[in-house]
Amino acid sequence: MSLVITFALPLILLVATGLGKSSAALGGPEFRISLALTVGLVSIGTVGYSLAIARDRDTGVFQRLRVTPAPTWTIMVSRWIVQLGAVLVMAIVVLVVAGLFVGVTLPPQDYLFTVLVALLGSAVFLSIGQAIVGLIASADTLNAAGRLLYVPLIGLSVFGNTDRLGTTVELVSRWSPGGCLETLLSAAMGATAWSGQSWGALFASFGYTVVFAVIGIRWFRWVSH
Amino acid sequence: MTPALRVTGLRVTYGPVVAVDGIDLEVREGEIYGLLGPNGAGKTSALSAIEGLLRPASGDIVIGEIDARAHPLQAKAQLGIQLQATSFHSSLTLVEIVRLYAGLYGVTLSSSQIRELLGEINLQNEVSKRFRELSGGQQQRFSLLIATVHDPALVLLDEPTAGLDPQGRRQLWDRIERFRNEGRSILLTTHSMEEAQAVCDRVAIMDHGKILTVGTPAALIAAHRDDPKVRQAAHGEVTLEDVFIALTGRELRD
Repeated sequence: MSLVITFALPLILLVATGLGKSSAALGGPEFRISLALTVGLVSIGTVGYSLAIARDRDTGVFQRLRVTPAPTWTIMVSRWIVQLGAVLVMAIVVLVVAGLFVGVTLPPQDYLFTVLVALLGSAVFLSIGQAIVGLIASADTLNAAGRLLYVPLIGLSVFGNTDRLGTTVELVSRWSPGGCLETLLSAAMGATAWSGQSWGALFASFGYTVVFAVIGIRWFRWVSH
Repeated sequence: MTPALRVTGLRVTYGPVVAVDGIDLEVREGEIYGLLGPNGAGKTSALSAIEGLLRPASGDIVIGEIDARAHPLQAKAQLGIQLQATSFHSSLTLVEIVRLYAGLYGVTLSSSQIRELLGEINLQNEVSKRFRELSGGQQQRFSLLIATVHDPALVLLDEPTAGLDPQGRRQLWDRIERFRNEGRSILLTTHSMEEAQAVCDRVAIMDHGKILTVGTPAALIAAHRDDPKVRQAAHGEVTLEDVFIALTGRELRD
Protein backbone atom coordinates (compact mmCIF):
# COMPACT_ATOMS: atom_id res chain seq x y z
CA MET A 1 0.00 0.00 0.00
CA SER A 2 2.73 2.48 0.99
CA LEU A 3 4.55 1.58 -2.20
CA VAL A 4 1.45 2.47 -4.24
CA ILE A 5 1.13 5.81 -2.45
CA THR A 6 4.84 6.47 -2.96
CA PHE A 7 4.48 6.01 -6.71
CA ALA A 8 0.93 7.30 -7.14
CA LEU A 9 1.36 10.62 -5.33
CA PRO A 10 4.12 12.05 -7.58
CA LEU A 11 2.27 10.90 -10.69
CA ILE A 12 -1.05 12.39 -9.56
CA LEU A 13 0.76 15.63 -8.77
CA LEU A 14 2.53 15.61 -12.12
CA VAL A 15 -0.74 15.28 -14.02
CA ALA A 16 -2.89 17.43 -11.70
CA THR A 17 -0.56 20.44 -11.82
CA GLY A 18 -1.05 20.52 -15.59
CA LEU A 19 -4.85 20.72 -15.34
CA GLY A 20 -6.77 23.98 -15.47
CA LYS A 21 -6.16 27.27 -17.24
CA SER A 22 -3.97 28.73 -14.50
CA SER A 23 -1.63 25.75 -14.35
CA ALA A 24 1.10 27.77 -16.08
CA ALA A 25 1.30 29.98 -12.98
CA LEU A 26 2.65 26.98 -11.04
CA GLY A 27 5.73 26.92 -13.22
CA GLY A 28 6.97 25.33 -16.42
CA PRO A 29 6.78 21.61 -17.13
CA GLU A 30 10.27 21.06 -15.67
CA PHE A 31 9.10 22.63 -12.41
CA ARG A 32 6.13 20.27 -12.35
CA ILE A 33 8.44 17.29 -12.84
CA SER A 34 10.84 18.41 -10.14
CA LEU A 35 7.94 19.04 -7.75
CA ALA A 36 6.62 15.52 -8.43
CA LEU A 37 10.07 14.05 -7.85
CA THR A 38 10.56 16.05 -4.65
CA VAL A 39 7.22 14.87 -3.26
CA GLY A 40 8.18 11.28 -4.12
CA LEU A 41 11.59 11.62 -2.50
CA VAL A 42 10.24 13.17 0.70
CA SER A 43 7.54 10.46 0.86
CA ILE A 44 10.02 7.64 0.40
CA GLY A 45 12.89 9.06 2.44
CA THR A 46 11.69 11.16 5.29
CA VAL A 47 8.29 9.58 5.95
CA GLY A 48 8.20 6.04 4.50
CA TYR A 49 11.76 5.07 5.45
CA SER A 50 11.62 6.38 9.00
CA LEU A 51 8.28 4.66 9.67
CA ALA A 52 9.54 1.36 8.22
CA ILE A 53 12.64 1.52 10.41
CA ALA A 54 10.52 2.37 13.47
CA ARG A 55 8.22 -0.58 12.77
CA ASP A 56 11.17 -2.98 12.50
CA ARG A 57 12.68 -1.52 15.65
CA ASP A 58 9.40 -2.05 17.54
CA THR A 59 9.18 -5.70 16.50
CA GLY A 60 12.82 -6.47 17.38
CA VAL A 61 14.21 -6.91 13.86
CA PHE A 62 17.09 -4.54 14.58
CA GLN A 63 17.99 -6.12 17.91
CA ARG A 64 18.21 -9.46 16.11
CA LEU A 65 20.50 -7.99 13.45
CA ARG A 66 22.56 -6.21 16.08
CA VAL A 67 23.69 -9.46 17.73
CA THR A 68 25.18 -10.66 14.43
CA PRO A 69 28.74 -9.71 13.44
CA ALA A 70 27.40 -7.17 10.91
CA PRO A 71 28.68 -3.63 11.68
CA THR A 72 26.00 -1.03 12.43
CA TRP A 73 26.64 0.97 9.30
CA THR A 74 26.12 -2.06 7.02
CA ILE A 75 22.71 -2.70 8.61
CA MET A 76 21.64 0.84 7.76
CA VAL A 77 23.31 1.00 4.36
CA SER A 78 21.53 -2.21 3.29
CA ARG A 79 18.22 -0.49 4.06
CA TRP A 80 19.29 2.60 2.13
CA ILE A 81 20.15 0.53 -0.93
CA VAL A 82 16.60 -0.85 -1.04
CA GLN A 83 15.19 2.69 -0.78
CA LEU A 84 17.53 4.01 -3.46
CA GLY A 85 16.29 1.21 -5.73
CA ALA A 86 12.70 2.35 -5.13
CA VAL A 87 13.71 5.95 -5.89
CA LEU A 88 15.40 4.88 -9.11
CA VAL A 89 12.21 3.19 -10.28
CA MET A 90 10.05 6.13 -9.15
CA ALA A 91 12.25 8.67 -10.97
CA ILE A 92 12.18 6.64 -14.18
CA VAL A 93 8.39 6.24 -14.00
CA VAL A 94 7.92 9.99 -13.41
CA LEU A 95 10.18 10.86 -16.35
CA VAL A 96 8.43 8.36 -18.63
CA VAL A 97 4.99 9.70 -17.67
CA ALA A 98 6.30 13.26 -18.12
CA GLY A 99 7.44 12.34 -21.63
CA LEU A 100 4.17 10.66 -22.53
CA PHE A 101 1.59 12.95 -20.89
CA VAL A 102 3.31 16.27 -20.07
CA GLY A 103 5.23 16.51 -23.31
CA VAL A 104 8.65 16.97 -21.71
CA THR A 105 11.41 15.09 -23.43
CA LEU A 106 15.04 15.60 -22.52
CA PRO A 107 18.33 14.84 -24.21
CA PRO A 108 19.64 11.39 -23.08
CA GLN A 109 22.39 12.88 -20.89
CA ASP A 110 19.82 15.07 -19.10
CA TYR A 111 17.73 11.99 -18.25
CA LEU A 112 20.82 10.42 -16.72
CA PHE A 113 21.70 13.63 -14.90
CA THR A 114 18.14 13.97 -13.57
CA VAL A 115 18.11 10.40 -12.25
CA LEU A 116 21.49 10.94 -10.56
CA VAL A 117 20.21 14.13 -8.93
CA ALA A 118 17.09 12.25 -7.79
CA LEU A 119 19.35 9.64 -6.15
CA LEU A 120 21.34 12.38 -4.42
CA GLY A 121 18.09 14.02 -3.29
CA SER A 122 16.97 10.64 -2.04
CA ALA A 123 20.16 10.34 0.04
CA VAL A 124 19.42 13.77 1.55
CA PHE A 125 15.86 12.87 2.55
CA LEU A 126 16.82 9.36 3.69
CA SER A 127 19.44 10.88 5.96
CA ILE A 128 16.84 13.26 7.38
CA GLY A 129 14.56 10.24 7.93
CA GLN A 130 17.49 8.42 9.55
CA ALA A 131 18.13 11.33 11.91
CA ILE A 132 14.44 11.47 12.91
CA VAL A 133 14.12 7.74 13.53
CA GLY A 134 17.51 7.66 15.19
CA LEU A 135 16.69 10.32 17.74
CA ILE A 136 13.01 9.63 18.35
CA ALA A 137 12.26 6.27 19.97
CA SER A 138 8.48 6.44 20.11
CA ALA A 139 6.72 5.34 16.91
CA ASP A 140 3.78 7.68 17.58
CA THR A 141 6.02 10.72 18.09
CA LEU A 142 7.98 9.74 15.02
CA ASN A 143 4.82 9.48 12.95
CA ALA A 144 3.77 12.95 14.07
CA ALA A 145 7.24 14.41 13.45
CA GLY A 146 7.35 12.91 9.95
CA ARG A 147 3.98 14.38 9.07
CA LEU A 148 4.93 17.76 10.53
CA LEU A 149 8.12 17.88 8.50
CA TYR A 150 6.49 16.66 5.29
CA VAL A 151 4.75 19.91 4.34
CA PRO A 152 7.62 22.33 5.17
CA LEU A 153 10.16 20.18 3.36
CA ILE A 154 8.08 20.25 0.20
CA GLY A 155 6.92 23.84 0.71
CA LEU A 156 10.47 25.12 1.08
CA SER A 157 11.42 23.48 -2.18
CA VAL A 158 8.63 25.41 -3.94
CA PHE A 159 9.40 28.89 -2.55
CA GLY A 160 13.06 28.80 -3.50
CA ASN A 161 12.00 29.88 -6.99
CA THR A 162 10.00 32.91 -5.94
CA ASP A 163 10.34 35.95 -3.67
CA ARG A 164 6.55 36.29 -3.24
CA LEU A 165 6.96 35.60 0.51
CA GLY A 166 9.97 37.89 0.84
CA THR A 167 13.66 37.55 0.21
CA THR A 168 14.39 35.92 3.60
CA VAL A 169 11.96 33.07 2.91
CA GLU A 170 13.40 32.78 -0.60
CA LEU A 171 16.95 32.54 0.79
CA VAL A 172 16.04 29.97 3.44
CA SER A 173 13.99 28.06 0.91
CA ARG A 174 16.73 28.04 -1.71
CA TRP A 175 19.28 26.54 0.70
CA SER A 176 16.87 24.12 2.36
CA PRO A 177 17.26 20.42 1.41
CA GLY A 178 14.25 20.67 -0.92
CA GLY A 179 15.42 24.00 -2.37
CA CYS A 180 18.86 22.60 -3.19
CA LEU A 181 17.19 19.64 -4.86
CA GLU A 182 14.99 21.97 -6.92
CA THR A 183 18.06 23.92 -8.03
CA LEU A 184 19.86 20.74 -9.06
CA LEU A 185 16.85 19.22 -10.83
CA SER A 186 16.25 22.45 -12.70
CA ALA A 187 19.86 22.42 -13.93
CA ALA A 188 19.75 18.69 -14.67
CA MET A 189 16.70 19.08 -16.89
CA GLY A 190 18.23 22.04 -18.72
CA ALA A 191 15.64 24.56 -17.46
CA THR A 192 18.46 26.67 -16.01
CA ALA A 193 22.16 26.76 -16.75
CA TRP A 194 24.62 25.04 -14.40
CA SER A 195 25.97 27.86 -12.25
CA GLY A 196 27.76 28.68 -9.05
CA GLN A 197 24.47 28.23 -7.23
CA SER A 198 24.18 24.73 -8.68
CA TRP A 199 27.61 23.88 -7.29
CA GLY A 200 26.56 25.35 -3.95
CA ALA A 201 23.38 23.24 -3.96
CA LEU A 202 25.43 20.13 -4.82
CA PHE A 203 27.87 20.66 -1.94
CA ALA A 204 25.05 21.58 0.45
CA SER A 205 23.20 18.35 -0.48
CA PHE A 206 26.30 16.26 0.24
CA GLY A 207 26.71 18.17 3.50
CA TYR A 208 23.09 17.60 4.57
CA THR A 209 23.46 13.87 3.78
CA VAL A 210 26.64 13.42 5.79
CA VAL A 211 25.50 15.46 8.81
CA PHE A 212 22.02 13.90 9.14
CA ALA A 213 23.28 10.37 8.40
CA VAL A 214 26.01 10.62 11.03
CA ILE A 215 23.50 11.92 13.58
CA GLY A 216 20.95 9.23 12.69
CA ILE A 217 23.39 6.32 12.75
CA ARG A 218 25.70 7.40 15.57
CA TRP A 219 22.85 8.09 18.00
CA PHE A 220 20.40 5.51 16.65
CA ARG A 221 18.10 4.17 19.36
CA TRP A 222 18.01 0.43 18.85
CA VAL A 223 15.01 -0.17 21.05
CA SER A 224 11.81 1.81 21.34
CA HIS A 225 11.53 1.49 25.13
CA MET B 1 40.76 -26.28 29.01
CA THR B 2 39.67 -22.77 27.91
CA PRO B 3 36.12 -22.06 29.09
CA ALA B 4 33.55 -21.17 26.43
CA LEU B 5 32.72 -18.00 28.34
CA ARG B 6 34.41 -16.23 31.22
CA VAL B 7 32.83 -13.16 32.80
CA THR B 8 34.68 -11.29 35.51
CA GLY B 9 33.43 -8.39 37.62
CA LEU B 10 30.61 -7.56 35.21
CA ARG B 11 28.72 -4.45 36.24
CA VAL B 12 25.79 -2.99 34.28
CA THR B 13 24.11 0.24 35.29
CA TYR B 14 21.16 2.27 33.98
CA GLY B 15 21.89 5.72 35.31
CA PRO B 16 21.89 5.39 39.11
CA VAL B 17 20.32 1.90 39.00
CA VAL B 18 22.76 -1.02 39.30
CA ALA B 19 21.27 -3.94 37.31
CA VAL B 20 24.29 -6.24 37.46
CA ASP B 21 26.63 -5.79 40.38
CA GLY B 22 30.06 -7.23 39.64
CA ILE B 23 29.21 -10.83 38.77
CA ASP B 24 31.68 -13.58 37.83
CA LEU B 25 30.64 -16.61 35.83
CA GLU B 26 32.24 -19.29 33.74
CA VAL B 27 30.58 -21.58 31.20
CA ARG B 28 32.65 -24.68 30.45
CA GLU B 29 32.90 -26.41 27.11
CA GLY B 30 29.96 -28.72 26.43
CA GLU B 31 28.00 -27.44 29.42
CA ILE B 32 24.43 -26.18 29.80
CA TYR B 33 24.58 -23.34 32.31
CA GLY B 34 21.36 -21.85 33.65
CA LEU B 35 21.07 -18.32 34.96
CA LEU B 36 18.05 -18.20 37.28
CA GLY B 37 16.48 -15.30 39.06
CA PRO B 38 13.20 -13.51 39.70
CA ASN B 39 12.05 -10.62 37.48
CA GLY B 40 14.50 -7.72 37.67
CA ALA B 41 17.30 -9.87 39.08
CA GLY B 42 19.64 -8.75 36.30
CA LYS B 43 19.67 -11.92 34.14
CA THR B 44 18.71 -10.28 30.87
CA SER B 45 21.00 -7.30 31.53
CA ALA B 46 23.92 -9.66 32.12
CA LEU B 47 23.06 -11.62 28.99
CA SER B 48 22.63 -8.40 26.96
CA ALA B 49 26.10 -7.26 28.01
CA ILE B 50 27.59 -10.60 26.92
CA GLU B 51 25.69 -10.36 23.62
CA GLY B 52 27.06 -6.86 23.02
CA LEU B 53 23.63 -5.22 23.15
CA LEU B 54 24.63 -2.90 25.96
CA ARG B 55 27.89 -1.51 27.21
CA PRO B 56 28.84 -2.65 30.71
CA ALA B 57 30.08 -0.09 33.21
CA SER B 58 33.00 -2.39 34.02
CA GLY B 59 34.18 -5.99 33.87
CA ASP B 60 35.66 -8.44 31.41
CA ILE B 61 33.88 -10.75 28.98
CA VAL B 62 35.98 -13.37 27.21
CA ILE B 63 34.34 -15.68 24.66
CA GLY B 64 36.64 -18.61 23.94
CA GLU B 65 39.86 -16.64 23.68
CA ILE B 66 38.34 -13.42 22.34
CA ASP B 67 37.99 -10.33 24.50
CA ALA B 68 34.41 -9.36 23.66
CA ARG B 69 34.77 -5.75 24.81
CA ALA B 70 37.89 -5.15 22.71
CA HIS B 71 36.72 -7.14 19.64
CA PRO B 72 32.90 -7.14 19.70
CA LEU B 73 32.33 -8.21 16.09
CA GLN B 74 34.75 -11.14 16.34
CA ALA B 75 33.11 -12.16 19.59
CA LYS B 76 29.62 -11.98 18.07
CA ALA B 77 30.75 -14.28 15.26
CA GLN B 78 31.41 -16.97 17.91
CA LEU B 79 27.98 -16.66 19.51
CA GLY B 80 24.59 -18.09 18.64
CA ILE B 81 21.92 -15.88 20.17
CA GLN B 82 18.22 -16.30 20.71
CA LEU B 83 16.67 -13.18 22.18
CA GLN B 84 13.67 -13.16 24.50
CA ALA B 85 11.50 -11.37 21.92
CA THR B 86 12.61 -11.47 18.36
CA SER B 87 11.35 -10.91 14.86
CA PHE B 88 12.65 -11.01 11.35
CA HIS B 89 12.04 -8.92 8.24
CA SER B 90 8.31 -9.14 7.56
CA SER B 91 8.71 -9.31 3.78
CA LEU B 92 11.09 -12.31 3.76
CA THR B 93 10.17 -15.98 3.64
CA LEU B 94 11.76 -18.50 6.01
CA VAL B 95 14.16 -19.67 3.30
CA GLU B 96 15.24 -16.09 2.62
CA ILE B 97 15.73 -15.35 6.32
CA VAL B 98 17.92 -18.43 6.78
CA ARG B 99 19.99 -17.44 3.74
CA LEU B 100 20.33 -13.85 5.01
CA TYR B 101 21.45 -14.79 8.52
CA ALA B 102 23.77 -17.55 7.32
CA GLY B 103 25.31 -14.96 4.99
CA LEU B 104 25.85 -12.52 7.86
CA TYR B 105 28.06 -15.19 9.47
CA GLY B 106 29.83 -15.97 6.19
CA VAL B 107 28.03 -19.30 5.69
CA THR B 108 26.75 -20.08 2.21
CA LEU B 109 23.81 -22.49 2.06
CA SER B 110 22.09 -23.87 -1.03
CA SER B 111 18.30 -23.94 -1.24
CA SER B 112 18.28 -27.71 -0.67
CA GLN B 113 20.50 -27.35 2.43
CA ILE B 114 18.14 -24.69 3.80
CA ARG B 115 15.12 -26.91 3.17
CA GLU B 116 16.92 -29.74 4.93
CA LEU B 117 17.57 -27.53 7.96
CA LEU B 118 13.95 -26.44 8.03
CA GLY B 119 12.94 -30.10 7.75
CA GLU B 120 14.96 -30.90 10.87
CA ILE B 121 12.69 -28.59 12.87
CA ASN B 122 9.50 -29.78 11.15
CA LEU B 123 9.05 -26.64 9.09
CA GLN B 124 9.52 -28.30 5.71
CA ASN B 125 5.96 -27.36 4.71
CA GLU B 126 6.32 -23.72 5.78
CA VAL B 127 9.33 -22.71 3.70
CA SER B 128 7.54 -19.97 1.80
CA LYS B 129 5.73 -18.57 4.84
CA ARG B 130 6.68 -15.37 6.65
CA PHE B 131 7.92 -15.51 10.25
CA ARG B 132 4.79 -13.80 11.60
CA GLU B 133 2.62 -16.50 10.01
CA LEU B 134 4.17 -19.21 12.22
CA SER B 135 2.73 -20.41 15.53
CA GLY B 136 4.54 -19.56 18.77
CA GLY B 137 6.25 -22.94 18.94
CA GLN B 138 7.28 -22.79 15.29
CA GLN B 139 8.68 -19.29 15.82
CA GLN B 140 10.79 -20.50 18.76
CA ARG B 141 12.13 -23.46 16.76
CA PHE B 142 12.92 -21.21 13.83
CA SER B 143 14.64 -18.61 16.05
CA LEU B 144 16.81 -21.35 17.52
CA LEU B 145 17.69 -22.55 14.03
CA ILE B 146 18.77 -19.01 13.09
CA ALA B 147 20.79 -18.77 16.31
CA THR B 148 22.75 -21.91 15.42
CA VAL B 149 22.90 -21.65 11.61
CA HIS B 150 26.63 -20.87 11.76
CA ASP B 151 27.44 -23.73 14.14
CA PRO B 152 28.56 -21.53 17.08
CA ALA B 153 30.59 -22.87 20.00
CA LEU B 154 28.52 -20.94 22.55
CA VAL B 155 24.73 -20.49 22.38
CA LEU B 156 22.95 -17.86 24.49
CA LEU B 157 19.24 -18.40 25.06
CA ASP B 158 17.09 -15.84 26.86
CA GLU B 159 14.05 -17.64 28.27
CA PRO B 160 13.84 -20.00 25.29
CA THR B 161 10.72 -21.87 26.38
CA ALA B 162 8.65 -18.89 27.54
CA GLY B 163 5.10 -19.22 26.21
CA LEU B 164 5.52 -22.75 24.89
CA ASP B 165 3.14 -25.62 25.65
CA PRO B 166 4.57 -28.75 27.38
CA GLN B 167 5.13 -30.51 24.03
CA GLY B 168 6.97 -27.54 22.59
CA ARG B 169 9.02 -27.18 25.74
CA ARG B 170 10.08 -30.83 25.74
CA GLN B 171 11.02 -30.63 22.07
CA LEU B 172 13.15 -27.57 22.73
CA TRP B 173 14.87 -29.25 25.69
CA ASP B 174 15.74 -32.15 23.39
CA ARG B 175 17.29 -29.75 20.90
CA ILE B 176 19.25 -27.95 23.62
CA GLU B 177 20.57 -31.26 24.92
CA ARG B 178 21.48 -32.26 21.37
CA PHE B 179 23.54 -29.05 21.07
CA ARG B 180 25.43 -30.02 24.21
CA ASN B 181 26.00 -33.54 22.92
CA GLU B 182 27.49 -31.99 19.78
CA GLY B 183 30.03 -30.22 22.00
CA ARG B 184 28.46 -26.77 22.18
CA SER B 185 28.13 -24.77 25.38
CA ILE B 186 24.82 -23.19 26.29
CA LEU B 187 24.04 -20.30 28.62
CA LEU B 188 20.33 -19.88 29.20
CA THR B 189 18.14 -17.77 31.41
CA THR B 190 14.88 -19.15 32.67
CA HIS B 191 12.14 -18.68 35.22
CA SER B 192 11.33 -22.37 35.12
CA MET B 193 12.98 -24.38 37.88
CA GLU B 194 11.64 -27.51 36.20
CA GLU B 195 13.56 -26.55 33.07
CA ALA B 196 16.72 -25.74 35.01
CA GLN B 197 16.56 -29.05 36.86
CA ALA B 198 15.80 -30.99 33.67
CA VAL B 199 18.44 -29.62 31.30
CA CYS B 200 21.11 -27.59 33.12
CA ASP B 201 24.41 -29.09 34.20
CA ARG B 202 25.02 -26.13 36.50
CA VAL B 203 22.86 -23.22 37.57
CA ALA B 204 23.54 -19.84 39.11
CA ILE B 205 20.81 -18.17 41.17
CA MET B 206 20.89 -14.43 40.80
CA ASP B 207 19.09 -11.63 42.60
CA HIS B 208 19.53 -7.86 42.93
CA GLY B 209 22.34 -7.98 40.36
CA LYS B 210 24.46 -10.49 42.27
CA ILE B 211 25.01 -14.23 41.92
CA LEU B 212 23.91 -15.83 45.19
CA THR B 213 25.01 -19.39 44.55
CA VAL B 214 26.35 -21.67 41.77
CA GLY B 215 26.35 -25.43 41.40
CA THR B 216 24.65 -28.44 39.88
CA PRO B 217 20.93 -28.58 40.66
CA ALA B 218 21.51 -31.68 42.81
CA ALA B 219 24.41 -30.06 44.67
CA LEU B 220 22.39 -26.91 45.40
CA ILE B 221 19.51 -28.95 46.75
CA ALA B 222 21.87 -31.01 48.89
CA ALA B 223 23.70 -27.94 50.19
CA HIS B 224 20.51 -26.10 51.20
CA ARG B 225 18.32 -29.06 52.20
CA ASP B 226 18.62 -28.37 55.92
CA ASP B 227 18.24 -24.59 55.68
CA PRO B 228 15.13 -23.68 57.74
CA LYS B 229 13.93 -21.31 54.97
CA VAL B 230 14.16 -24.13 52.45
CA ARG B 231 12.29 -26.52 54.77
CA GLN B 232 9.61 -23.87 55.17
CA ALA B 233 9.29 -23.40 51.40
CA ALA B 234 9.25 -27.13 50.63
CA HIS B 235 6.05 -29.07 50.05
CA GLY B 236 7.44 -32.57 50.61
CA GLU B 237 10.65 -33.44 48.75
CA VAL B 238 13.00 -30.41 48.51
CA THR B 239 13.28 -29.11 44.96
CA LEU B 240 15.41 -26.50 43.21
CA GLU B 241 12.41 -24.18 43.35
CA ASP B 242 12.37 -24.41 47.15
CA VAL B 243 16.04 -23.44 47.24
CA PHE B 244 15.34 -20.59 44.81
CA ILE B 245 12.44 -19.26 46.91
CA ALA B 246 14.46 -19.54 50.10
CA LEU B 247 17.35 -17.58 48.58
CA THR B 248 15.40 -14.91 46.71
CA GLY B 249 12.38 -14.47 48.98
CA ARG B 250 8.65 -14.84 48.55
CA GLU B 251 7.72 -11.28 47.67
CA LEU B 252 6.38 -10.65 44.18
CA ARG B 253 8.62 -8.91 41.64
CA ASP B 254 7.47 -6.74 38.73
